[in-house]
Amino acid sequence: MNKDAQMRAAINQKLIETGERERPYPQVAEISSSKFTFHQLSKEPHLITIFLSLKELLRAKLIECGWKDQLKAHCKEVIKEKGLEHVTVDDLVAEITPKGRALVPDSVKKELLQRIRTFLAQHASL
Amino acid sequence: MKMEEMSLSGLDNSKLEAIAQEIYADLVEDSCLGFCFEVHRAVKCGYFFLDDTDPDSMKDFEIVDQPGLDIFGQVFNQWKSKECVCPNCSRSIAASRFAPHLEKCLGMGRNSSRIANRRIANSNNMNKSESDQEDNDDINDNDWSYGSEKKAKKRKSDKNPNSPRRSKSLKHKNGELSNSDPFKYSNSTGISYETLGPEELRSLLTTQCGVISEHTKKMCTRSLRCPQHTDEQRRTVRIYFLGPSAVLPEVESSLDNDSFDMTDSQALISRLQWDGSSDLSPSDSGSSKTSENQGWGLGTNSSESRKTKKKKSHLSLVGTASGLGSNKKKKPKPPAPPTPSIYDDVN
Repeated sequence: MNKDAQMRAAINQKLIETGERERPYPQVAEISSSKFTFHQLSKEPHLITIFLSLKELLRAKLIECGWKDQLKAHCKEVIKEKGLEHVTVDDLVAEITPKGRALVPDSVKKELLQRIRTFLAQHASL
Repeated sequence: MKMEEMSLSGLDNSKLEAIAQEIYADLVEDSCLGFCFEVHRAVKCGYFFLDDTDPDSMKDFEIVDQPGLDIFGQVFNQWKSKECVCPNCSRSIAASRFAPHLEKCLGMGRNSSRIANRRIANSNNMNKSESDQEDNDDINDNDWSYGSEKKAKKRKSDKNPNSPRRSKSLKHKNGELSNSDPFKYSNSTGISYETLGPEELRSLLTTQCGVISEHTKKMCTRSLRCPQHTDEQRRTVRIYFLGPSAVLPEVESSLDNDSFDMTDSQALISRLQWDGSSDLSPSDSGSSKTSENQGWGLGTNSSESRKTKKKKSHLSLVGTASGLGSNKKKKPKPPAPPTPSIYDDVN
């Protein structure tokens, strides 16, 4: 178990180091052995995502699929129940996070997993 | 922990998958948490419910999707058929014609002030000429001297400054022609002799070149020796305004009675008729009268001095001819022969 934990920690570290998790991926992407910058690919919406970090990609996808609006509607109901004045962060987190996890569409999930697997494959030897 | 010991390749796929799933779960949790913080801040700052609108106003601003209407529900050319009531004249005017109508109605705006000025100039001449009509003798006598009668005749501008004819008539003229087409309304530099009184005109002609430019119908304000115009042209202008005996100021001599050549003046009149102004109609009759009145003009020169003031004759060419006949200024008519020749060139 310790090893697993260590493994995970190492991977996370790698994710952050390379900028895959938080900061943008490479400034130049290589597609079919041609190099493109962000600006060049900006006209191709389906390709632009390779420049996004995992986190940015997920956020963009969730907004696009309407996940954020759905969750917001749910929030409003919760808040109206609780009363506007008495809302706390903990309340919100407890109410919203499970719903949020459940509401993520499968397509988004699949895409993200694919990306992660690619990353892991690239960094096979840590 | 040593990096070399960790090797992902040693792991089987299930573990890799598990790791991937964990990473994914972390990411989703991050997003949810971030969302919660945003909502909480919005609630506490008070802008969380701002985008909510009540159903009534939602219906008001709903997107309209009917044929003939835009998305706001407005008709396309609604304003064309609408009529507005003019506050000035209380007429109902079509909306698309409202602005030009208002410009004319209120008298503000470029075009309307131009038209008004022209009307004033014309009506001044009309008034003065009409007052003369009561005693026709005055019209016919015209020996009083120069300018204003001829100016009066010329001022009855039949040509609309904005009409296409204006440019057409200009094309027929070659070079500068002093006496052609006198009164277009123009406002460039230079002097429009329409607005000058006889005294002003005389003084102007004694100090300035005065040749009337064919293009602008204005008198040249340069010196008496200005290189743009010849002495012939200057002389012509002076004859035109001041009578056949008038010449350049340098050659002023004592006044004689000019020996007036009737033939020449009639030729001049016919030349002046060429540009087709509506003055021609009175002038046709005028030319017949002129021949009658030549004798009068010469004979009654001195006695008519008091009547000379009122000169604005509506019979334009009558005035011209009479003016030519009666003026006994300066040199006796050497300029007269050249003038028809200038017109010859034009024609």
